[in-house]
Amino acid sequence: MNRLDALRGTTPQKPHDARAIAALAANPGCTRRALLDGAGIDKDAAARHLGFPAPFGQSPFAITRGNAFEALVKADGCAELLRMLRELLGLPIAEVAYHDVENVGAHLRHAHTRALFDRAARDGDDAGTVYDHPLLSVGIAGHTAYLEPDVVAFQLGGRFHIVEIKSFAVIDGQADPSAVAAAARQAAVYVLALRRMLAELGHDPLRVAHDVVLVCPENFANRPVATLVDVRRQLGVLERQLARMTALDRLLDGLPEELTFDLLPGEDGLPTRPAAELADALRRATARYAPDCLATCDLCFFCRDEARQEGATDLLGRHVRDELGGVGSVGEALGLADGARAPAEGQEEIARLLRNAERLRRECLA
Amino acid sequence: MSDRLDELERRIDGLRAGVRTAMRAKDTATARTLRAELRAAERAWDALVTGDLPGAAPDESPDGSPDGPPGARAAGASPGRASEGGAPRGGALVTVREQVHQALTLLAAPAQPRLVAAVSEALLGGTLRGSRLTSLRRDEERSFASSPYGRPYYLCAALTDRLSPARGLLTVSTWPLERRVVGPLSPRVDFLTCAMAVARQLGADPLAALDPRALRLLARMARNIPGAAADADTADLGPPDPARVAEAAARELAVHAGRDTRDRAELAGRATSQLDDRSRLFGATTLITVARDAVVGDTVTTSGPAGDTATRGRR
Repeated sequence: MNRLDALRGTTPQKPHDARAIAALAANPGCTRRALLDGAGIDKDAAARHLGFPAPFGQSPFAITRGNAFEALVKADGCAELLRMLRELLGLPIAEVAYHDVENVGAHLRHAHTRALFDRAARDGDDAGTVYDHPLLSVGIAGHTAYLEPDVVAFQLGGRFHIVEIKSFAVIDGQADPSAVAAAARQAAVYVLALRRMLAELGHDPLRVAHDVVLVCPENFANRPVATLVDVRRQLGVLERQLARMTALDRLLDGLPEELTFDLLPGEDGLPTRPAAELADALRRATARYAPDCLATCDLCFFCRDEARQEGATDLLGRHVRDELGGVGSVGEALGLADGARAPAEGQEEIARLLRNAERLRRECLA
Repeated sequence: MSDRLDELERRIDGLRAGVRTAMRAKDTATARTLRAELRAAERAWDALVTGDLPGAAPDESPDGSPDGPPGARAAGASPGRASEGGAPRGGALVTVREQVHQALTLLAAPAQPRLVAAVSEALLGGTLRGSRLTSLRRDEERSFASSPYGRPYYLCAALTDRLSPARGLLTVSTWPLERRVVGPLSPRVDFLTCAMAVARQLGADPLAALDPRALRLLARMARNIPGAAADADTADLGPPDPARVAEAAARELAVHAGRDTRDRAELAGRATSQLDDRSRLFGATTLITVARDAVVGDTVTTSGPAGDTATRGRR
């Protein structure tokens, strides 16, 4: 842990939220991101300082819309949600017990959530159905991050489910796949946190279902509709990523001893470290840029710029990069294609394919 | 008095035209000045029109909101709206406090501000907005603290199973304690009770049954009660039948009623024996609850910073 603290230096630690943890699972192979997140470094401040600010953050309209939709779904003791759960999962009429954890005040919420879930897991079906505003926690690289599902966890037949309320629309049964994927990753974080809490309390963690209930507005109306989403894959990736973060030593071993990503914030909190020096330090940790990073990572523009300068094939997306396996840069690929460059050992196959492609292209153009 | 109102209305019209002209000419500076004058004129109009109405209590907002008499705001910001709203079903110029009281009396169960506003608007011709009710409870508590039982009724909190105020649930102090506490099943029971009240009101009052807002409210509630919508296939097409909604709600209510009544009686008993007058109306503060609930005492310290560092999922 000491080396991680050294990496962060004097910059204050940034607490993780569910979105940040979910974003970890989006690009599991990126060492740079794993180190920065493990050390709790404020990536946004770093990116700003480097001159590559990322346009993140939701618009106030989106937030208002999201909050209004959530309030609609949860209104009157989650009346809408109960209807959907009855339709979707066959929740019995009698199961309507509603606990608003927020009633106890912010400072007690985590303890109260634990107590309520402990009781629910012990007493069986009778204890409660819907838990609103629970506060979960999950340990990340030695620090505790607190998560507030904007959702409700509920119990049905002794199994807990996570409900994720999102305001993107489902139109004719179809929703934007990237939005669904992001929601699934975020819900997986809550599933994981709830499983860990149950395990800590001595219950079977698998009582938290891997199917999460995703609630979205349907067909341009504000009428909510629920769907089940299986998040097993997201859970797997997330588990692996969190395990990696606790075992960052392996990643750290390859780095020079004196390396630090410290921003050296001055009295006003603004970074004082020369941007070029910070950029050099960051380049020591290899990134694995992919175009999807633009949706999840604060450092995306920096990494993209770096990938461009190197002419890396990463820029072309994961699919192309994997097809070009073993060929790292665009220049190299072009060289192999027109025969200007002799294939290195193990590159014969890809070189043959590239030459074929080049020949086809020339024939088409001729 | 009405002469001055007429004069003000003419002035407001003139100012509006001025703002429009200035905006067309892209003269933002002038537009801003004119808009300020327009607001001042509208406030003056509001103050004047509510000033000579018996229902408008000047002390509605003890914390003195800066933008004029709040009673006036309830009457709608523009002259046009208020004058038409004041017409047939009344209520438009009644104070916020009284409008909430009327809606709650109709519902006869603890309700969230959104529902109170919807019911008041759809069935009582009210002009409430949910956001206006946020400070209401605090104001009521302050008024009770300065002169206990000085008002015939107070709008107060529902009490949770920890006897703390339930978030966002409004009740009336004159109700029996059993109706003002919420156990785990109570939100559903209250929702069903409210649905029955709305359905009954719509059935009894043919005038209200024509109001599309009232029908929308009833349809929204009916959707969430099994068997209340006319037919599974035509649920979205026609307005639901009030009698059918009431019947379906009563049927589901029967499932929960027994256990909820027991829970509530137990909670009410505890509240009577443990709380003083003020906490019985407005809820015990959480810190007192902490001291009493020694059970969670050991975990309290560890969870100290939880509330501060917790991040809302939606952000």
